[in-house]
Amino acid sequence: MSLRSGFATFAGKSSYWFLHTFLHGGSSLPGKITLKLDPNILRTLGAKYDVIVITGTNGKTLTTALTVSVLNQKYPTILTNPTGSNMEQGIVTTFLNAKSPKTGRPLAVLEVDEANVIKVTQYIEPKAFVFTNIFRDQMDRYGEIYTTYQKILDGVALAPNATIIANGDSPIFHSKELPNPIEYYGFDDQPDQDMKAKPNTDGVLCPVCEHILHYHSLTYSNQGKYFCPNCGFERPELTYRLTKLGDQTPTSSEFEVDGHAFKIGVGGTYNIYNALAAYAVGRFMGVAPTQIARAFNGNQQVFGRQEVIDVDGKQVTIILVKNPVGLDQVLHMIGTDKEKFSLVGLLNANYADGIDTSWIWDGDFEQLTKRDIPAVITGGERYKDITFRLKVAGIPDDKHIVEPDLEKVVAEIKQVPTERVYVLATYTAMLQMRKILATKGYIKEGLGV
Amino acid sequence: MTYELNVAHLYGNLMNTYGDVGNILALNYYAKQMDVHLNVKVVSLEEDFQAADYDLAFFGGGQDFEQTIVSQDIQTKKAELTKFIESGGPVLAICGGFQLLGHYYIGANGEKLPGIGALDHYTLAQDHNRFIGDIVIKNQETGETYHGFENHQGLTYLGADERPLGNVVSGKGNNGEDGTEGAIYKNVYCSYFHGPILTRNGDIAKHLLIAALKRKFPEADFSQQEALPIPATF
Repeated sequence: MSLRSGFATFAGKSSYWFLHTFLHGGSSLPGKITLKLDPNILRTLGAKYDVIVITGTNGKTLTTALTVSVLNQKYPTILTNPTGSNMEQGIVTTFLNAKSPKTGRPLAVLEVDEANVIKVTQYIEPKAFVFTNIFRDQMDRYGEIYTTYQKILDGVALAPNATIIANGDSPIFHSKELPNPIEYYGFDDQPDQDMKAKPNTDGVLCPVCEHILHYHSLTYSNQGKYFCPNCGFERPELTYRLTKLGDQTPTSSEFEVDGHAFKIGVGGTYNIYNALAAYAVGRFMGVAPTQIARAFNGNQQVFGRQEVIDVDGKQVTIILVKNPVGLDQVLHMIGTDKEKFSLVGLLNANYADGIDTSWIWDGDFEQLTKRDIPAVITGGERYKDITFRLKVAGIPDDKHIVEPDLEKVVAEIKQVPTERVYVLATYTAMLQMRKILATKGYIKEGLGV
Repeated sequence: MTYELNVAHLYGNLMNTYGDVGNILALNYYAKQMDVHLNVKVVSLEEDFQAADYDLAFFGGGQDFEQTIVSQDIQTKKAELTKFIESGGPVLAICGGFQLLGHYYIGANGEKLPGIGALDHYTLAQDHNRFIGDIVIKNQETGETYHGFENHQGLTYLGADERPLGNVVSGKGNNGEDGTEGAIYKNVYCSYFHGPILTRNGDIAKHLLIAALKRKFPEADFSQQEALPIPATF
């Protein structure tokens, strides 16, 4: 370590200690201080580690947590970054906080924001990259899917020997020739048919000849066993195959990968993709399927399992929604509930939520009307938008309560005719809701996710 | 339902950013209240557009890449789309759809890409800047106020026989200079508004539906439909 790096590391570590001890905070500021003192600090800090970078629009956090849990079966010490610290400063802080490895090369499994991949690969050549998916995300901030993928590839270009472990069901990950070794994972549980994605789906053009892609099978959005009837472009051979999809509920999923049975304590097809990614990394790193099953079964906390809050007898689950594909998946997931439930939609449009609320129209709320939902409550700063969205989706007025004030939403929740209540909220609406529930003593702290 | 209208969702599988599909949902919502059933069909790369087959068309915004592809393909539909527009067919065109009905627009890499020139506007591009934010405009003829969210790099300049959808009250509009937003030509309504436009401005949905009904059923009495109240949603 150079004198400069040494000093920068010391400054960063002490600031972390200070922030953590006295202010109960400190996730990115130490990294910021260290980076100011030594912009090349990641080279020094990361040199001792085998690094696995996990990136993509949705599922980064859970995939990272699951991957750590899977790899822990074989590798006892793994460094990883906490939720939300997926930009350069947060990553530097993560390395700063690590105890110096005594022997061998420990692993670091890092969730990295798409545009920040290059800020890691400038200094560190990862052992592997994991690409989860690329969907339209709050476009007023992120831009188009092709631009996002290019940002990732700009980072990957600096690490041509790293293995890419990619979601094979997503056509964009097969659209560019890359020098890297590539392994794909995907769903292979359906007989072949010939169909197209739903009209309102992003990224359905063949990257070779620009005709509309067809599918032998579809999971959700533009993911599945795609093929182009015009030029023959098709899904690549999968290295890791989901061979059977079993029972799905909002709190559990059963499936088989390469013939091995797994169960995870969380619902949603998107979470099965996350587990499949973790399985693929595990296999790539030599973890046996039985060990992976143990990791999936073992630590339920890893799944960030949707916390159920008891509000005077109502079982309330708050779920963050932030983009159309995520929203669709959440709607599908709560639709697998075998019990009756009430639904609450809370919409804000602050910067962290995305200032354009148009995206709620890309979510398929219409699927809700297939079920009998006894009560729907809409609220938040942009309650008018979400109210009209659900009205258009077909929620009848006599079952629809409009209440902008979140304090009063809590009071309304206590009155709904079902025990189970799902609250779908944008980021700042979720924080506001949690704060109110904390003030009223239903949860301990206001800010956790 | 007493009446049926056939709606072409132009390039609905490629031009569908920012919730623009919500316009189809809102159109359907108001149509039901007007005793009208809508048959919506996506007309894209693999489908043909015949003016005689449709009573209304919706054309949404798209990502740069998809819009480039559509710019090529739409030339094969140019004659029939122009015929539809010239014969008073109602159209709602948003963002990229708005641009492609005009003469040309400038793509993401600075290249000039053709529209169909059915309307007399053209679109240039800003350098490294987009107009992003809430926007309010006022339609000078009807006195209606419209609310939306704009997010565009294009700078559109209207032709002589077009009038704006409204004058900018707050926000940027077509080009940030001349105070216009969107365009109206015959029964074609164009705008940069997302939100989507018809979910926040039900009056425009009503204008489109009434125009389509009167054109398809010239003998029928639509006074009830015209009296449908449109409560504010925004």
